Amino acid sequence: MKILLAPLDPVHDAGLKLIKRKLEALGYQCVLLPPDITVEEIGEAAIAEKIDMIFVGRTVGYGVEQLFRRVRTVLTAQGIFGKVRVAIGGMAVTNELAQSLGFEAGYGPHTRIEEIHALIEKNPELARHVTHPIKNKPKFPFPHSNEVKDSTTRKLLNEIVDGILDWTSNKTSPGVVRAHITESQLQYVHGSVENYTALPFTKDYLAQCDENIVDFFQRNTCPSSVRQITQKEIDAYHRRIDIAKKNFHPRVLQHGRTKPLVFVQYGTGCPMMDGMHIKVAESWGADGVLHFDPAWGARTEGLMDGFLTNAEDGTPVTYANLSLIKRSLDKATLWTVRAHRGLNTPEIAVLSGFLGADMTKINIVYGSICGGTDPARLTVDGVDAIRIAQRYNMPFDIPTNEELAGVPPHKAFAGMLVMAALGKRLGATPILKPLLCHGPYIMVNELMEQNYVDYNFAKIRALQAIADFPIWPGEPIGFMTHTEEKEQSAATTALHAAMCSTLGVDAITTASTDEAFSRGSITADGRVGALRSIEEAFRFFGQTDITPTAKADEWRDEIISGINQVLKNATEAPSFVDALYQGVFGDKADGVYPGRAGKNSVQEIKVPIARRTENPRRHALARCK
Amino acid sequence: MTTARDTIVDALDIESFVLCESEAEAKELVGKLMQSLGLARHVIVSLDFNGPGAHFRVRAYMNKPGDTYTWLKE
Repeated sequence: MKILLAPLDPVHDAGLKLIKRKLEALGYQCVLLPPDITVEEIGEAAIAEKIDMIFVGRTVGYGVEQLFRRVRTVLTAQGIFGKVRVAIGGMAVTNELAQSLGFEAGYGPHTRIEEIHALIEKNPELARHVTHPIKNKPKFPFPHSNEVKDSTTRKLLNEIVDGILDWTSNKTSPGVVRAHITESQLQYVHGSVENYTALPFTKDYLAQCDENIVDFFQRNTCPSSVRQITQKEIDAYHRRIDIAKKNFHPRVLQHGRTKPLVFVQYGTGCPMMDGMHIKVAESWGADGVLHFDPAWGARTEGLMDGFLTNAEDGTPVTYANLSLIKRSLDKATLWTVRAHRGLNTPEIAVLSGFLGADMTKINIVYGSICGGTDPARLTVDGVDAIRIAQRYNMPFDIPTNEELAGVPPHKAFAGMLVMAALGKRLGATPILKPLLCHGPYIMVNELMEQNYVDYNFAKIRALQAIADFPIWPGEPIGFMTHTEEKEQSAATTALHAAMCSTLGVDAITTASTDEAFSRGSITADGRVGALRSIEEAFRFFGQTDITPTAKADEWRDEIISGINQVLKNATEAPSFVDALYQGVFGDKADGVYPGRAGKNSVQEIKVPIARRTENPRRHALARCK
Repeated sequence: MTTARDTIVDALDIESFVLCESEAEAKELVGKLMQSLGLARHVIVSLDFNGPGAHFRVRAYMNKPGDTYTWLKE
């Protein structure tokens, strides 16, 4: 096939030159006319060259409709239009405009050569992989040895992990008991929300719950900000989600690199609003999503049940809510459910694992000194939750948000590495989640006065030097560098994402351009803004790396030394739990203190934990007043 | 019947630049603007005054988490 490429601009013919090169590579014979030609000359060239198809390009936007109308008139007068195929393209050209003027097709900016190839061959399948890309769920985390490289660090971590496992070996808690009751009952559910809701919440379960949870089941009361979603709402929501799925064409954010994957955290309070935000995030390229529950949920013994919406931040974890979100996800989307910091950590891990979550989130240290949970209690629950994560084959990430309170990175990282070593010992797959933030410690010590690059590099390079665990900065990247202005927020997110690309981390988390806006909930539009900014940053840098100054190496070595000193201090405490109480991983001067939720709730095991309740089943369909 | 407004997932943001002589005046103008558009329940997300006026983003929530969403109306 012989194709004529005709630029109708005084000088601009770059687009057609590019098309010529690519079409010739595909085996087509092309004739490119020079710029600054007349419409009549196009027709004359088509006749002289015995052309099969013409592409007319017009870069300049003004007057395109009149110009292309004239192109059609002239080519018709020359006896070409209708005999030779003609398509048009340019900055202001749309397919709708082209077809309204009688051309075969019209192409605007960002048109891919595959689409032009498909038009030439009249075979849409040739462009399907770009117009309707298929996104498969990646195996995540990406392969790592999970080895601690430094022998001193390894020895200290092993000693601490030995101590944790010894200390917890004869202990249990209400959270552990509830998790095992829940797990034993899930065999009756077969994935059905109705079956789960109809399960008996037995005396055994309720005996381990706070009064407000007991009231929820026995008196149908729930927190003032929470209401039950109606079945009519659920049905309408499913219809909306099905429409979203039908029209879904995934985008790929990464440009020339396979990582970092991009996760979006959600937890608007409502599983239906979350679901819609998830569909938006997936459509704009997110590779995964993370569920955030309400803060009060972490300080309450026991979980409620049913489709519940919360008018405040954080979406309640219930079997029904998680099922609703799971049903909303695209098959390629990685799904993480936060379990890590409260009194329901093992139980949430059970529900997440059973419902097919890809990952969960567990950090004893953060939850104990910054999340409000008693260190002894969370140590018992955390170890059990890791075992659950291992059973369900769920990797778990280890957030270090204590940095936001003022804990220096070396202390937060020491706690994170203890958790990673513990996870590895228990056969689970840990993921390090350092914060890339302008946190209080960094502010006070002016570590980012010159730039945001060097100290963040130092943090990640320190972790990479110590061990080969997967690294997933969050949550979200650039915490405390955002302002309420959308452009600034998008820019700082994008730049942190680009930096993470250089650092070779496995994934990153973003929220939205509303990250710093605290007077209302995050919007779907803000999700799009953050993801578009990341996409553009990845496109801009491609495989080009960002280079820090020499200061990054100096700070990296300081952080490594600090981590080892904290680990050494932890081994000198009577136990890991004592180390948490004593502030080895962060103390009041750092802005953190041991939590109180669940204090004195750890019990010594005298008899084996009941794996299965035998109490009669009781209908416990929860309805909120 | 569903209106275009009902299809907004959560919030309608308006971003522009108003000519004014102070941040306080900008806030007042933005408030009046939203009132005139029938969007009384609004919040200024960001506002940056300098030189000739203020660059602002103002938000009117149509659906907040926990509401009965307009986009679920049949």
